[in-house]
Amino acid sequence: MKTELSPRAQTLAYLTLCVLLIPFVFPTRWMVTSSVKPVSQIFAFLPDIWPRAFDFSSYSDVFKIQPFALQYWNSAYIAAIVTVGTMIVASMAGYAFARIKFPFANAIFMVVLVGLLIPSEVTLVPLFQLFLKWGMINTHWPLIPVPIFGAPAVFATFIMRQFFISLPVELEEAARVDGLGRFKIFWTIALPLARPALAAVAIFTFPGSWNLYLEPIVFISSADKFTLPRALTQFTDAYGGPMWNIQLAAATMTAIPVLIVFIVAQKQFVEGPAHTGLKG
Amino acid sequence: MANSVVLVGPSGCGKSTLLRMIAGLETITGGEISIGGRVVNELEPKDRDIAMVFQNYALYPHMTVAKNMAFSLEHRGGSKAEIAERVGWAADILGLKPLLERFPRQLSGGQRQRVAMGRAIVRNPQVFLFDEPLSNLDAKLRVVMRGEIKGLHQRLGVTTVYVTHDQVEAMTMADKIVVMNAGRVEQFGAPLDLYDRPANPFVAGFIGSPAMNFIEGQLTPNGFVAKGVVLPLPPGLATGDAVYGIRPEHFELVSDGLPAIVQLVEPMGSETRVTMTLGEHRVIGVFHERLQAAPGATIHVAPQLNAVHLFDAASGKRLN
Repeated sequence: MKTELSPRAQTLAYLTLCVLLIPFVFPTRWMVTSSVKPVSQIFAFLPDIWPRAFDFSSYSDVFKIQPFALQYWNSAYIAAIVTVGTMIVASMAGYAFARIKFPFANAIFMVVLVGLLIPSEVTLVPLFQLFLKWGMINTHWPLIPVPIFGAPAVFATFIMRQFFISLPVELEEAARVDGLGRFKIFWTIALPLARPALAAVAIFTFPGSWNLYLEPIVFISSADKFTLPRALTQFTDAYGGPMWNIQLAAATMTAIPVLIVFIVAQKQFVEGPAHTGLKG
Repeated sequence: MANSVVLVGPSGCGKSTLLRMIAGLETITGGEISIGGRVVNELEPKDRDIAMVFQNYALYPHMTVAKNMAFSLEHRGGSKAEIAERVGWAADILGLKPLLERFPRQLSGGQRQRVAMGRAIVRNPQVFLFDEPLSNLDAKLRVVMRGEIKGLHQRLGVTTVYVTHDQVEAMTMADKIVVMNAGRVEQFGAPLDLYDRPANPFVAGFIGSPAMNFIEGQLTPNGFVAKGVVLPLPPGLATGDAVYGIRPEHFELVSDGLPAIVQLVEPMGSETRVTMTLGEHRVIGVFHERLQAAPGATIHVAPQLNAVHLFDAASGKRLN
């Protein structure tokens, strides 16, 4: 049911939303505008609302100071593998928990959920020992399987399970009558209909991996293997002070893929088709 | 000609479960189900050579109408030309040709229903299973689709098992009706046999609309003695406690009949439905005459003796 607001209430609602928007938009605006200002202007009192002149040199400097393109690629492929891997693991696990009857299914699911309660910092040292033993320190290996099978995947499994529970069981029964086995039902019926849930998983998994900060600091030490959050800390001058405009230019470029993933994935949210083949 | 069997009964009586057992969607704990002489207890639904139309149609929302209909054939490994021909044939029969490229969300309720039937007939199975396929349609469309399903059955000549809770649907669609109640089969027979000779008060009350009137009393040589009224009986009956059943349409208006006090008159056009008290019993009568009687007025009615149903008061068994 839609409730129509009066024009006055509507204006008030929009004004409130605009005010609430400020703490979210302001840091981004500050980041983007500062990236095209000289340092002196960044710290000017009073700061300019809009840059007086656009200076894009900090963007090219980003690539001179570090192998930024390589670091960009590192982040991109790791986040892509983690996102796709999480989607595969979570959708299969979620489907199994939602639809396949096996002993202690609910109890096992509870045990899996308990994994969410363990902070990742607690497991960092044992993981370091483990990867050291396997000779995987200063490689990208620690950044891929741990999130795919770790806490982010647990949450993703929860989302997928809830979605599959809500999927009409008749669709799968119709598929059984049509001659499909369990995996084909999952692959050709359940998974295509789970697009909105998969989009939700992508929306929080991709930025989760892209922004991963602590783990790269612990596991990776050479610049050519850095991911972007780790690389951002390296834009410093000879005295260790940050080179603000260059760092913010790098930060702006770092934010773009997350924005793209969000825009692409959120479209899938709007109208899930799962229930449109039913009833009249 | 293969039979069209309708499973009918109130909600929760087990009719859908029975259908799902035939389909193989529920496992059975005892007994034997055979289709075309082949025991299918252990077979998966796909191996039973059945097709099912679900109550909510269960069309695949992400596939077009054509794809929905072709889906099972594709998974059974038919050639493309053969599949296209089958889909075309089914679409022709059901008038779906212009809709083949649409998605289920772009169809009306009746069209979705037709696609669900198309998906079933395209495979040419041994048995069609329908699980309350019309219950999501409005009353007018239900009548149209009822005719279409019956026509389809007559045209294709495939055994059909059809579940409904609507006894009118059951009467009009069935060659044979199975009346179910609380997980048990109450009676199995041709629609008019069930109407004319119901085996017990449950079947008698379930089949026919408005429902049969029941009056408790005693069979005596002088007639059926109930509270405040003695009803005429067919000859040759024993004595004892019994239930007297008479359908509303089997009352006649006769000047020398039993006095009945009118409670409510509902003119329907083709008939008049009268709620009245006969002695201390409230009953309904349906008359083809256009009766104009005010509430409280007395009319005289008589039950048709050849349409009286008598049931044992204790066991519910039919006595005549």
